[in-house]
Amino acid sequence: MSLARITLVSIISSLLGSGTLLAQEHDAASHAVSGATGGDIKITDPAAVVLIVNRDSNDIAFMDIHTNKMIGSVFLGNNVNPHMAMMSHDGRWVVTGGTRANKAFIIDVPTMTLVKEIPVGFAPEHLAFTPDGRYYYQGNPDGDSISVIDMVSLTEIKRIPGFAEPLNITFTPDGSKAYIGNYGAHWVGVVDVTRHELLKRIQIGEVPEIAKLDPERYLGEIKGVSNASISNDGRYIYAADGDLGIVGIIDTRDDKVVKTIRVGADPWRAYMSHDGRYAVTVNNGDETVSFIDTTKNEVVATLEAGPDMTGVNFAAGKAFVVSATSGFLYVYNMDTLKPAGRIKIGTNLQLETATTDTADEKLYLASSTDHSVYVIDARSEDVARVAGVGLYPWGTHILDSKDNYCH
Amino acid sequence: MCHIRDPIRHSRPSSRSVFGRGPLWTVVGFASMAALPWHLEAQESQPPQQQTSESGRQQLLDRIDELERRLDDLESTAVLSEPETRVRRIEVWVDENGIEYDEPMPGTRSVVTYQRERVFRRQTINEKIEEALDDAANRSVGLGVDAAIVLQNAQQTTGADTPADGNFYELASADLFFTAGLAQYTVFFADIVGLSGTPPDAEVDALTLLNGYAARLVRQNELNLREAWLMTELFSQRLSLSAGRVDLTNYFDHNAAANDETSQFVSDALVNNPMLGLSENGAGLAAVYDPKTGFNAKIGYQQSSSSATNLSDSLFYLAEVGHLWTPFGLGEGNYRLWYRTDNGSGTNRKAYGVSVDQRLTPVITVFGRFGSAQTDGARDRFVSAGLQFRNGTVFNPEDAWGIGYAQTELGAGDDEMLLEGYYNLHMTEKLNLSFHLTHVTEEPIGAGKISYLVPGVRLQASF
Repeated sequence: MSLARITLVSIISSLLGSGTLLAQEHDAASHAVSGATGGDIKITDPAAVVLIVNRDSNDIAFMDIHTNKMIGSVFLGNNVNPHMAMMSHDGRWVVTGGTRANKAFIIDVPTMTLVKEIPVGFAPEHLAFTPDGRYYYQGNPDGDSISVIDMVSLTEIKRIPGFAEPLNITFTPDGSKAYIGNYGAHWVGVVDVTRHELLKRIQIGEVPEIAKLDPERYLGEIKGVSNASISNDGRYIYAADGDLGIVGIIDTRDDKVVKTIRVGADPWRAYMSHDGRYAVTVNNGDETVSFIDTTKNEVVATLEAGPDMTGVNFAAGKAFVVSATSGFLYVYNMDTLKPAGRIKIGTNLQLETATTDTADEKLYLASSTDHSVYVIDARSEDVARVAGVGLYPWGTHILDSKDNYCH
Repeated sequence: MCHIRDPIRHSRPSSRSVFGRGPLWTVVGFASMAALPWHLEAQESQPPQQQTSESGRQQLLDRIDELERRLDDLESTAVLSEPETRVRRIEVWVDENGIEYDEPMPGTRSVVTYQRERVFRRQTINEKIEEALDDAANRSVGLGVDAAIVLQNAQQTTGADTPADGNFYELASADLFFTAGLAQYTVFFADIVGLSGTPPDAEVDALTLLNGYAARLVRQNELNLREAWLMTELFSQRLSLSAGRVDLTNYFDHNAAANDETSQFVSDALVNNPMLGLSENGAGLAAVYDPKTGFNAKIGYQQSSSSATNLSDSLFYLAEVGHLWTPFGLGEGNYRLWYRTDNGSGTNRKAYGVSVDQRLTPVITVFGRFGSAQTDGARDRFVSAGLQFRNGTVFNPEDAWGIGYAQTELGAGDDEMLLEGYYNLHMTEKLNLSFHLTHVTEEPIGAGKISYLVPGVRLQASF
């Protein structure tokens, strides 16, 4: 079949199959097709690559973690706009949700080949694998559902309804339950992973009575729970609620909120330090970060930070807070809980999220508007730019990293 | 060849009409295009000589190119998912003839330029509208309003009768803020304030103002330019410089629990340290060095008297160092030490002071200030302390309350003891209602002690 024919057929089949409209990136499209036919092994060590989610070039790129050289990329389709990618625990697969394609995409890592497109719910974004790797849960925030993808048959075996803008998904270590942050509500959903059913809705906090006076704030746009962050021992969930300015602590044994902690204004989510001692919230309402001591379950420090914070990475005894629009990483000493300066990445940049390597030595920070990933040495705070990784890199991912998150 | 071309030609008129018409035509066009693969399948059964005809292949490729172009047009113009474009700063290499290259070439030099790039992101109409609104907001001059009404009553509790006893006082204040971005890391800010009404300070002869809204403003019942300055940030934004008509208390003598008459204590003694000696704002400069390590240093100067005819004769100079500590396993604490000189009185008078706020628990913050100022005789002294409560001990989650005590001792012998408690009810993001109870005792030299109990209500809106 000629290349031109393949292109035409793919255009028309995509037109008919998904309702999405038409190809624009012809070269990239043909590259993806030719990639799909290749069977040679390109990646032998999945732990030695950094995944880069390129939202606007619609691909997942692979970068060698040792050399910072691009290995290649897997094109997903025009206007797919992937949001988050994750590698299966065995390093065999990479999965991603194409937000504007309403599909999940499965990539075979060794051959860097797109092997399956699976229609899911509306606007898929965040995702997670079950601990045994059998399933992957794909959140569909605009469809208020979670798609359950069977990684053996590579099919959607169930779509769990009943959520309200489900964002991040957190599994308990034993894989029996999943906790779903609902950004469009003030509760965390508990899913029975055996039956793939929504069991409970745990209210994080009550909206105060005085909220009736402020419809502009409480009815205009809801900022609920974006993530359920789990303690290292799996016992507690720390769920920050943006509108309420609190973190609710859920005991996973009986799925009850055992304490609510007031933090700064508009917390995005809690990030667990690697030693499990602190849960750190980024509070975009007052541009602060709150450090919650997980042994006492109380805020032990609230420190000044920057605007539009999208994530926290932990390495070399420090916390690195990504301030998206300022072009800075704010740094905090995790021993003294004091500010330790800030690292200027650049001017007029839009920083997205970062991943820490498994040695806790380097951060791989996606910078969307200059199409780059910045590699930051956590100890020396030296910064190296890897340019041209793809268009609008939205996030990065490293197998077994403790800081794999999205925004 | 003709068999190859015909189906596409057949579809062509309808395709062309599709792109210029409405949704119905779009559907019809898609339907006709849906037939294309089947026609192509049929073509494979044609004789090999026709299949391999080079000109036929080329024409097919041309057709496909045209079809793809039309599809691009369709996506660009006929649907809501218009491809996003953005302008990017790029580095190119230019030779002596002005020819640009993407990579360094012999005889080229590096030049930074800007170029539009098209990206392939499907945007919803909501996202486009939101972006447009944000863009418009970023380009416009920002306007903010901070308005307040403070109603106070003076009940004399000790001392000889004074005219203030039993009187009510009301002060209305409105600040209009203007901000505009002028260049990279450079903004303009202006604050025009109008005050109307009568604060108790006209009748209660106190050393410090019982209503902090009137601080550092000379004229009332008319518009005042409180501040107008340009601020720029240098050295990776570690150093900020603000120059113009400045209010140095915005930069110096900060305190997390007692620094804001709009949401905390209303008495000026619990807003700023009187030993700073700033009676009005003036032209000047403030430089703040903040490497975000917990340490910061500030210096500033301003004209201390608007009646002075030159800066040299009314120079108010202020310096401060601050440090963030977490002592004894407590929460964050801010410790500041300042020093100032002022030659506005004809001699260069000096003062120093400290301002501390320390979070004891997630609920309680303790604060304190101390200051000592040089005078013609003995030194003036000031001390204040108090507690602020948030979280858990409030009616609504974002409420706060506090109690504070301030004592002012002038070298000349006059003393003042002031105690205030307040509860700030955070009603909405834009509206606060607070209740205040102040007790002030004045001990003027050579006269008897006079005390007042001053209850008050403050309604404050900011938007």
